[in-house]
Amino acid sequence: MAETRGVALFAYNTDQIDYAKLALLAARYVKRHMKNNNICLVTDQGTWDYLVDSRSAERSDVAFDDVVISPVVHTANKRIHYDSPWTKFVSEFKNSNKHQIINYTPYDKTLLIDIDYIVQNNSLDYLFDTDSEVALFHNSEDLAGFPPAITETWLKPTGIPMLWSTVVYFDKHNDISRMFFDMWAHVHDNYDFYKFLYGFSGNMYRTDFAVSIAAHLMNGMGDGELVTDIYGKLINMSQRDDITKVNAIDDWVYLLNDRMENWKDSVTRIKGENVHVMNKRALERFYNYISHELDIEDGIAEE
Amino acid sequence: MDERLEKALAFSQFRVTIENRRTAIRRRFETMLMVHHDDGLFRADAITMSFINTLMDEEHTSAILIDEKQNPIEVKDLKVLKEKLFNAYFEATNEYTSEVKSLAKARDVKKAMNW
Repeated sequence: MAETRGVALFAYNTDQIDYAKLALLAARYVKRHMKNNNICLVTDQGTWDYLVDSRSAERSDVAFDDVVISPVVHTANKRIHYDSPWTKFVSEFKNSNKHQIINYTPYDKTLLIDIDYIVQNNSLDYLFDTDSEVALFHNSEDLAGFPPAITETWLKPTGIPMLWSTVVYFDKHNDISRMFFDMWAHVHDNYDFYKFLYGFSGNMYRTDFAVSIAAHLMNGMGDGELVTDIYGKLINMSQRDDITKVNAIDDWVYLLNDRMENWKDSVTRIKGENVHVMNKRALERFYNYISHELDIEDGIAEE
Repeated sequence: MDERLEKALAFSQFRVTIENRRTAIRRRFETMLMVHHDDGLFRADAITMSFINTLMDEEHTSAILIDEKQNPIEVKDLKVLKEKLFNAYFEATNEYTSEVKSLAKARDVKKAMNW
């Protein structure tokens, strides 16, 4: 039987963020740009029903090839979200079953992406043709090309490097992949212990930290490329940045907030690059406009 | 505020925008230069393309090349890789040139952002 390949996304709505709506957008960008564009949504029944009711079955059908209903009881995981430096809100962050993706995915080779990762080129397609067991981004930069803050580079200043779980590629039939996800599950189940062992603080369960620890443990408690570094850097739009205009589907203008002096902003325009749009409210503000443009392209709506 | 100082500060803000845009254009150029072939990742730059040409001039049809991830890659058909690299190179440089030209013409933030 031919090898199956595809992209997976998790979406569990909360009282503050419509994750399914954002997953729909992210999925349509994948369809638009990637060659390996079968898409699987992992969600719960309530989120799926709401998505179909609010965004139409037609759009959902265009975006998702497979839907896995996983009614997981998530452990409380509150997170402070920012929408520019001036607005913040607290929302539940339902990520406790992300490591289960190896069991959920219908594909032999899977690229798991977060719903706020907007794919605007096909640079990740190469992963499906490699022998990599597991691949993640080891490096990141912000929209202006600056390296991330130290808290997003290391688990603690003298700790291990932080890897990003925003994009995870894996081959589910590979023994090393399976071991990696088992290790991730183990770190998840014993997070307080590993938090103490690796010396970082905070009450939130961060999957970035969990994958970093799992990779470190599997590399014989050292550095190594058992978990392959995805080529290039993860481009992060901070939650303090904003989207100010969408010129075209793949041409966005962003407001960049100065990290050191947050009363200052500058602008940049990014065309055809994959961006981790961490300010979800900004993405929601432009959802209708972008969705309409995509509808026209997909023949769902008229100009 | 002194009018000259006001103008200088407005120009300074404009330069920040131009630099941000330049970074984004260069990043896009780098993305477009990457070519995946025979399980290796190659950059369509002058050195790689010239080296492949030299190998082919020496009548090699296949060779082991070191890719961008520093892995040895057995390239089965150099001709195919050469073609892919040249295509990526021309596509990337054409877009890069057109973006740089349009940025050079932009005289204010709005034009640079296509507002």
